[in-house]
Amino acid sequence: MAEDEAIFDPTLKKKKKKKKTTFDIDAALAEGNANETSEIGNGELESKEDENRQKDDDAEDVDLDLDFTKKKKKKKKPFSTEELDAALNDINSETVTETMNNEEAGDDNFDIDMLDFSKMKKKKKKKDLDDFIAEAEEKEDKENIEDNVNLWSGSDRDYTYDELLNRAFEIMRDKNPDMAAGKKQKFVMRPPQVVRIGTKKTSFANFTEICRMLHRQPKHLLDFLLAELGTSGSVDGNSQLIIKGRFQQKQIENVLRRYIKEYVTCHTCRSPDTILQKDTRLFFLQCETCGSRCSVASIKLGFQAVTAKRAAIRAKTA
Amino acid sequence: MSIQNLNTFDPFADASKGADDDVQDGLVHIRIQQRNGRKTLTTVQGLSSEYDLKKIVRACKKEFACNGTVIEHPEYGEVLQLQGDQRENICQWLTKAGLAKPDQLKVHGF
Repeated sequence: MAEDEAIFDPTLKKKKKKKKTTFDIDAALAEGNANETSEIGNGELESKEDENRQKDDDAEDVDLDLDFTKKKKKKKKPFSTEELDAALNDINSETVTETMNNEEAGDDNFDIDMLDFSKMKKKKKKKDLDDFIAEAEEKEDKENIEDNVNLWSGSDRDYTYDELLNRAFEIMRDKNPDMAAGKKQKFVMRPPQVVRIGTKKTSFANFTEICRMLHRQPKHLLDFLLAELGTSGSVDGNSQLIIKGRFQQKQIENVLRRYIKEYVTCHTCRSPDTILQKDTRLFFLQCETCGSRCSVASIKLGFQAVTAKRAAIRAKTA
Repeated sequence: MSIQNLNTFDPFADASKGADDDVQDGLVHIRIQQRNGRKTLTTVQGLSSEYDLKKIVRACKKEFACNGTVIEHPEYGEVLQLQGDQRENICQWLTKAGLAKPDQLKVHGF
């Protein structure tokens, strides 16, 4: 029984592989209009699958390497399936089956461990059968792809806006899978350490550290903080910021968030990878990711009400 | 960027649009300042000089149950000053009274 399974599973794997390769060819054929981007995407996929196939072959031949290949495969596969998803634009059923296949692939590696010779023999017989099945599926896949990706490519009708939009996003995702197209990027920061000193002063302990994380001059952030909070303060010897007044961590976080929104993240693409430059008295935010450059508001102190004792001020000035 | 400079710019666009009932221009900065203890002060800077700030402060004092005053500042003009943290209140009140649009309000402070 165990043997049977072992024999069966690799064939499943094979089938899937076949499926994938046929996908690509079909896609390439379907998009015969030669839009290079999708072709590139497919090319990548194919190469990846080739690798996978080679690895599988290796696995079948050499038992000792199995663990290694298995790990690699595990890492690789989710990636390739993702790309496939992007390329095929949510054929959900497909992905489900594929993930199932992945699991099975993981299982059958164990089986390969146990028994290899018997499978080696029987595989060849199975292959022919598989080819038939794969071919049958090929046609279905072709139809699916044409339905989902290029509805309008063959026909005379005009494309709709949504179709074009989908296409653009697919190409974008294909080209750079690490880019979060449409997804919101999260910018993770260490929380500020805010401690009260006595009753009237607050210490912002990791001030310089946060400045370094944001790639901003401590002076700039200091100016902003003091202007926003409407107080005075300074950086002391331990590179911590001492602010006059009582502030809680939450409040400082709020101000920091506003600072990041205005002076750190790019206003166009929201990437935190930016440089703040001063140019003819104005601050410009230069984005390293998208290359946009825009001016940011200068830090203004604004109106400050008199909060100290007037008598004390009078005594000081006079 | 350089193309932006080449665009034709109509200097009278604002004038031709006419002074519709909207006299408030520029941002209204609403700030908070800490005083001694837990006491705070709210300042409203940048309200249009067309408005009678004395009347506004009178209404605000009644509405928020706080004291307040109008301060003449050489640079910033007339500034409203209210006792306590009235940032939320003043934002709502200004928009409700139609003195400023929500996107013209800029709240500072923590």
